Amino acid sequence: MTSDGPHVPHPARASSRIAPAAQAPAPAQASHASLVEAVARAVEDVPGVAFLKPGLAARLRSALSRPDPGTGRAPTSGVRLATGADGTGPWRVDVQVVALRRARSVDVARAVRATVERHLAARFPERPAPRVTVTVTGLV
Amino acid sequence: MAGARRLTAPPGAYGDVAGDTDDSLLAVRAAEGDEDAFAVLVQRHGPALIRLATRLLGNRTEAEDAVQDGFISAWRALPEFHGRSSFGTWMYRIVTNRCLNVLRGRRHVASLELAGELPAAEHSASPARITEARDAVRELRDALDLLSAEQRACWVLRALDGRSYEFIADTVGISLGAVRARVFRARRCLTQALGAWR
Amino acid sequence: MTAHTDPPNDPSPQDDDEHLPCGRLLSRVWDAWEQQADDPHLRSCPHCRQAVHGLDQLGSAVLGLREEEAADAPATDAAVLTRRVMDVVRLELRPGRPLPLGEPGEDLWITEAVAARALRAAAETVGGVRAGSCRIVGPLGGGPAGDRAAGAVEIVLDVHTPADAFLPHLADRVRDRVRDTADRELGMAVAAVDIRITDRVDPPGGGKEGRTP
Repeated sequence: MTSDGPHVPHPARASSRIAPAAQAPAPAQASHASLVEAVARAVEDVPGVAFLKPGLAARLRSALSRPDPGTGRAPTSGVRLATGADGTGPWRVDVQVVALRRARSVDVARAVRATVERHLAARFPERPAPRVTVTVTGLV
Repeated sequence: MAGARRLTAPPGAYGDVAGDTDDSLLAVRAAEGDEDAFAVLVQRHGPALIRLATRLLGNRTEAEDAVQDGFISAWRALPEFHGRSSFGTWMYRIVTNRCLNVLRGRRHVASLELAGELPAAEHSASPARITEARDAVRELRDALDLLSAEQRACWVLRALDGRSYEFIADTVGISLGAVRARVFRARRCLTQALGAWR
Repeated sequence: MTAHTDPPNDPSPQDDDEHLPCGRLLSRVWDAWEQQADDPHLRSCPHCRQAVHGLDQLGSAVLGLREEEAADAPATDAAVLTRRVMDVVRLELRPGRPLPLGEPGEDLWITEAVAARALRAAAETVGGVRAGSCRIVGPLGGGPAGDRAAGAVEIVLDVHTPADAFLPHLADRVRDRVRDTADRELGMAVAAVDIRITDRVDPPGGGKEGRTP
């Protein structure tokens, strides 16, 4: 639960793992990273969300006092997306957010869940409803 | 420091933490994962511990590293701390022992190759007007490097930090007799070194 | 700070020690010096006086060292040290368990350390109260093992209170604030709030005597 280790977002590694070396990657697989990205952006826009839980990489950068090496993309740490082995089952989504103190935590968490559900339903109307877990890992 | 209840408010408390919050409460909170409470403890105790480590090591940069490492190991050990002593006393012990390890390592290198070279560099930049008193201080600094790690630690805690023999025995984890013996040997060595300068 | 007085047969530093020509042990002479013992012999015996003179010399060098320390030590920047330490600490946070938010089975959570921080802050809105340990027990009545079925939690909060506070009222007020925050700020179902008063403290400045910072 607490470890960021297994899902530190690393765009390069993530895409190379998911997209086979073939010239024309299967669309469903190639879109995984961009799907995570899209879900992350949608979550960040939810009222009451301050930001996604910073990943280990971001915290290490802060520890080394180096500025973010502008990849041009906001981090997607804090969002994990998985689906069944055959790629047809319900999405399993795990979201970790830092919420604003002035908002009620449970309301923020519910709004995040609703946003993720809406987003996935719109993109994958044929899929069963996703299972969304939301954890508030900080209040600011 | 030992056992003292801290009700003073340091400037710039972290997060929600009220500046007048007792060390014992902050240590419990930090043990339960409240890093803001820990930050207040670092801010509160850091300066005194850096002074202690600088006295023990005779080197400011090494002292800052020792104190930083000491706080980090304290953060890791806090869940098992259970407030057996005051946080200040506990940190004093952690930093002293970390400095002892640094001194032991340094001793080893010095005796192997650089004996006599180490002390000089640091004081070469003293001002042109050298008084006799300043010479004595310099002699003392150099002579401290001749002591064993344990002698140095015991003497520094006694003479520079003004600690009781019991406190030192407790902090370093040796018997009262051993502390007395080390302070005595340190004094012999240091008085001889100062005498040689005369 | 005061020197300890050993019983005469305390283990003493034998090796390295020496008898002065007057027959006294150097270690004893120095002990007497440290304890500022009033011994006529020490004042009259030239050997003892010489031995003590060495320590006096050392003492003035120590004073000089302290003065140099005070003069050239840049006042420690506590903020810089704190930032360096906290940068590393933040890589090793202890968030604790996830605790359920909302209705049972909603699969919404808040980490224990974050919830505890909010609840402590709630307790401290009562004047003079300072919060320590905040343990959150439960959730109670969870499902089978491994099931994260949600339920209400129990809060055990330790506080220090002002010495002059009327405790039953104070504990009630703290309990209300904690419950209110759990409900209105977090949305965490709470079965019970146990307030334990672990110390009573004179308020700084408001105290009768002694406790000045």
